[in-house]
Amino acid sequence: MRDRTPFEPVIQLRHLSDDTKQRIFDAALQVLADVGASVSHPEGVELLVRSGCTLDDSGLLRVPPSAVERALSTVPSSFALYDRSGSQAMTLGGNNVYFGTGSDLMWQYDVETGEHRPSGLDDIARVARVCDGLPNIDFVMSGAYPTDLGPQGVYLATFLTMMRNTTKPLVLVAENEVDLGAIIDTAADLRGGAERLREAPYLLAYVEPVSPLLHPRESIAKLLLCADAGVPVAYVPAPLAGATSPISSGGHVVQGMAECLLGLVVHQLRAPGAPFMFGVNQGSLDMVSGQPSYTAIESFMNYLTIVEMAKWLRLPNWGISGCTDSQAIDAQLGLEVAELTLLSMLLGSNLNHDVGFMGFGLTGSLEEIVITDEFVSMNKKLLSGVPAEDLDLAVEAIAGVGPKGHYLGHPHTRAHLRKGPGQWRPGLLNRDNRDRWVEAGSVDLREKARRKALAILQTDPPAPLDPGLLQRADARMNTLRRETV
Amino acid sequence: MTDIMKDIIAAVIDGEPGPVTTAVSAALEAGEDPESILNDGLTAGMTAVGEMLDQGEIFIPDVLWAAEAMQEGLAVLLPHLAHGVSRSAGTVVIGTVQGDVHDIGKNLVGLMLSGAGFEVRDLGHDVAPEAFVDSVAHNGAGLLGMSAMLTTTMPAMTRTLELLRARGMREKVHVLVGGAPVTQGYADKIGADGWAIDATRAVVVAKELA
Ligand code: B12
Repeated sequence: MRDRTPFEPVIQLRHLSDDTKQRIFDAALQVLADVGASVSHPEGVELLVRSGCTLDDSGLLRVPPSAVERALSTVPSSFALYDRSGSQAMTLGGNNVYFGTGSDLMWQYDVETGEHRPSGLDDIARVARVCDGLPNIDFVMSGAYPTDLGPQGVYLATFLTMMRNTTKPLVLVAENEVDLGAIIDTAADLRGGAERLREAPYLLAYVEPVSPLLHPRESIAKLLLCADAGVPVAYVPAPLAGATSPISSGGHVVQGMAECLLGLVVHQLRAPGAPFMFGVNQGSLDMVSGQPSYTAIESFMNYLTIVEMAKWLRLPNWGISGCTDSQAIDAQLGLEVAELTLLSMLLGSNLNHDVGFMGFGLTGSLEEIVITDEFVSMNKKLLSGVPAEDLDLAVEAIAGVGPKGHYLGHPHTRAHLRKGPGQWRPGLLNRDNRDRWVEAGSVDLREKARRKALAILQTDPPAPLDPGLLQRADARMNTLRRETV
Repeated sequence: MTDIMKDIIAAVIDGEPGPVTTAVSAALEAGEDPESILNDGLTAGMTAVGEMLDQGEIFIPDVLWAAEAMQEGLAVLLPHLAHGVSRSAGTVVIGTVQGDVHDIGKNLVGLMLSGAGFEVRDLGHDVAPEAFVDSVAHNGAGLLGMSAMLTTTMPAMTRTLELLRARGMREKVHVLVGGAPVTQGYADKIGADGWAIDATRAVVVAKELA
């Protein structure tokens, strides 16, 4: 896969003034400098203290604005991810928009039976295969947690399954620096060495601090490991507005930014210039059901602000798309997927994960991934806009046809359809009249998406991996299992 | 029900600091039986709050504010209550298991349990089996609530149950488990005494066990 011209919307959504963005940023700096944070990683703390942060008796670490400014001056404003074969596939930064799945879902709507059942390792393979076959899915996260495996080494097993079933770049979760180390070693092995992996990163690690203001040992350890290996990392908190962060949109983003920026500071101190991704997950707690809503309208409001802040700081951003709070593959799913995905496209949000998420990050559906792919395809057309230099005002054609004529066979129509922009063709959406639709079995969107997913699963899998690579990965797996028993 | 009791119930539901103490004092002055003020006023108010949350009529934090207001009222009432009238539904030790930092669900469960009159000892997150067991012993708790949100950390529940058995404490405490990956089936498999899908149901199960 090549990095075809990256998609960048010409129509863009911005709603914050520079002054508002400055105030939000200043408030985040104030939280870092005055409130501080708890960092449970001795080496990380030492690194921070050596460069001007202070640690008080209660264990709170305070970060001066100058440290953040310095980190912002060394961090790259864009970086690339490469596919399994080593070709550049994604350029993250600017307003380039990419889509991919999320990780670790415990349940699946089984694509064959429609049953809601626990996820297994096979689901990870299926998600990867389906994503591999969808042109508008650019990167892959596991989509499922293998509840059929024991807890030791699950994330390495997950990674190997993904690598076998898709050639697209991967975004990965790991438990700690030990299993992440084994994953990175395997990726380096695939590339033919750690240096080659650094030049052409195949994966991005998704690491989270704990809101409010807590940076566990494992989170910092994973962050530092990525800095050392030159593996891109997203250090993204998931404050839930009203529960683990202030309920106001402003407060949510300020705290989340303070959490993410502390990660940036440690990361850049360890390896100035290493690739880092900024982000804050947008969730809010539903104050009646107690559910962590991904798609509440307040969550969307938080999201707008977060992505605009990333643009303002010129940092590649972590975003979200293709997900719903719905428990069914229904109209609510369609509506929420559409709104969130369109927002991401309009914002020029870079790495949009969680495609295929349902029911508050607990259930996955291949249908939802397929539906999102179609939605992205159609809106890439919309957001490419009408090309200003080539407006194609067709005055000649209008003159040629005149009153009472028609354009059906006109050369202008032919040129437009055959050589020009054509007409966007749906893969799933209905354009049939009632009778034809009934004759064809009255198939609705969910069923069409299901059939498309099943059809992709029938195609040939990606070329098999070198057996030596897999053997060495198995050896790492055995070590990991021994060490964590 | 007397108007005075209605006032107390309304003040508990409202959850503002102040009015509950005023209403309880008024009831005492009017010569209402202190035990009735507890049962038909304060406790009835909290029961109503629980039902309203279940119906989606109020927000989760309303329960917290109601519980705080109810505690204020209780402080006024306590000196008037006959010795031996139990003011607590029992002591619960609660925490998120080792290796796991997800604590919002556990916090909600703790909040609802204290709203329902339990004494809640919250050990926070990433709690080692030893810490759970020590706290149960130390507080003489009749209930232990463990939360796990990761498939990888669920086995820590089993380790805690084993430690309880090893220390000969398993019969003395009811163990309640929960969290997104935890099911009734899993609870049965590891030999826990109860499981609940969410915080309101957790209160029902805790009361059954207590
Ligand atoms: C917020 C969140 C986080 C926050 C937690 C912050 C905090 N202070 O709690 C952060 C960002 C830190 C986080 C980190 C991680 N997370 Co997380 N997280 C979530 C998320 C989105 C919401 C959890 C939540 O707060 N729910 C709201 C509360 C109110 O609901 P609840 O917890 O389910 O609790 C209710 C019931 O379960 C029950 N209950 C809960 N406990 C108890 C206890 C008893 C006794 C009883 C009776 C009932 C009960 O009652 C509660 C109230 O109604 C979930 C998705 C989800 N929907 O669960 C993922 C999720 C749990 N996380 C997940 C993962 C993978 C991780 C990470 C590994 C990711 C990473 N990149 O590193 C880390 C692990 C960190 C660690 N070692 O623990 C996965 C787990 C998959 C799996 N099968 O194990 C999930 C499912 C999301 C996903 N699909 O990726 N996460």
